[in-house]
Amino acid sequence: MSEELDRIRREMHAVLQPPGVRPDDSLQITRRTFIHRSLLFGAASVGQTFAWWPLLNTIDVAHAAEAPFKFAWISDTHLYERSLNTRFVDKVVRAVQEVQAMDPPADFLIFGGDLAQLGKIEELELGVELLKDLKIKKYYIPGEHDWYLDMGKKWGELFGQPNWTFDHKGVRFIGLDTVSRGPDYWTAKKMTPEERMGHMATLDGTVAGAWAGVGREQLDWMQKTLADWDKSKPIVIFSHNPLYEYYPPWNFWVRDWREVNDVLKPYTKVTNIHGHVHQVLYNEIGSMRSIGMLATSWPWPYAPEGVPKLTKPMIRADPGDHYDGVGWETVNVNADDKVDVEYIMWGRKEVFVQSPEDHDKSIGEVIRPRIADNQYPWENP
Amino acid sequence: MINTPTFLCILRRSTVAGAVVAAAVVLGPASANKDPVTPKQLKLYQEAFMEEVRKGDLLFHGDAAMAEQLGVKLSTTGWACAMCHPMASDTHPQAFPKFQASMAKFATLRDMINWCIEKPNQGEKIDPESEAMKALEAYITWSNTGSVLVPGKY
Repeated sequence: MSEELDRIRREMHAVLQPPGVRPDDSLQITRRTFIHRSLLFGAASVGQTFAWWPLLNTIDVAHAAEAPFKFAWISDTHLYERSLNTRFVDKVVRAVQEVQAMDPPADFLIFGGDLAQLGKIEELELGVELLKDLKIKKYYIPGEHDWYLDMGKKWGELFGQPNWTFDHKGVRFIGLDTVSRGPDYWTAKKMTPEERMGHMATLDGTVAGAWAGVGREQLDWMQKTLADWDKSKPIVIFSHNPLYEYYPPWNFWVRDWREVNDVLKPYTKVTNIHGHVHQVLYNEIGSMRSIGMLATSWPWPYAPEGVPKLTKPMIRADPGDHYDGVGWETVNVNADDKVDVEYIMWGRKEVFVQSPEDHDKSIGEVIRPRIADNQYPWENP
Repeated sequence: MINTPTFLCILRRSTVAGAVVAAAVVLGPASANKDPVTPKQLKLYQEAFMEEVRKGDLLFHGDAAMAEQLGVKLSTTGWACAMCHPMASDTHPQAFPKFQASMAKFATLRDMINWCIEKPNQGEKIDPESEAMKALEAYITWSNTGSVLVPGKY
């Protein structure tokens, strides 16, 4: 697996990052971002590196806006029915209350997918009910957990078109559907909708395959949507999955990242904000900056390989505290050409690692894919 | 991987073969020397191990049928082990035994498994000697094949 990942990663860097290609140089680079970037050249060991990271809970990106504003992001709530699991419900309630209490208020909320855990009508409706208390404008993109029970039927009824665009104070926003174009792994095996959903709902499953993708049709739509947009004006793209390749076995990518890059290449101020990974992530790919957001439900560990070098990892969560390692985010778009993403991690003053031992990868591990979902029950008589 | 009937068949064959070998050792000094391990035996041992890995994999991923078969209730919240530990990542079997901060005691991997069942999953603690525990342990350690032992590491 590692050799294949290495090959893909080398190709990605060859395609996306030829010498001299970076997010727009005219953007302001804050001290905080600069310190991140210097890690690329320092090749420092973990121990050396952590010593000079600043104690700040924000990641700075930069682009231009007509007027300062902020918006909020919540995603990956993974709601079960209320009777089965109240912890996930409590955390959505808390996030909604906190977003509602923002002062000045957020201009809008982006819900970044995986509202439900098993795509059930009751789960999706519970999500709508909980988010109803939030009075600001809300935009939704789907996650795979929302989709594969009824192939997006209920989600569509509740939220409409999964991809959309709007302009707000000089920024073009685009929402993408990166989940609905999975390969058909169910028909040949005569799976029930529940079985199909079960495989999709297992992050480390081996049956659903490389399901994350944007798709030719949606890429064409995105290209058309951006055709009238000035190449130097800011664009923020929301997607459930990251728009680059981080760790394909967990679909921490979109399989057509090459084509995504082809569409976005001419634009110099692109920021991608994504869910799915349940962890703090930061990366720069070609001319695009990419930021991973926290879940409200639970944190995923960092993948065993492929964590972007520009990512300052989040702190290792305490599994005994279900409010740890999770939360929501505000995104502040400032008039002085900066965008600050602030992670609101409940119960933590320090979101980022402060020492090597704070990192979940401080214990080195070599792991391998599971086996049982490819043998049982499909190959049994 | 073999299917269940084939595996049971092999087990039955191995029982017979085992009895023959045991009888030979007991019965005569001329047969007292042990034979070198055969490829067939190795295959059998490996298959016995992988069968436990398979069961552990299913338990770890919340398979209701396997939990019922082994008589355990690992979760009441919908959570499964793999939801925090995809590919058994972050289980760190190589670091046990150690002082486990979340439990505030010196703990084995089996202690940790039971802690996760009881706390985050809100399931029912299992017998540390049960097949379910051994299967979970088999899956977790197999998944981390190649990880370097660092007992005691935080």
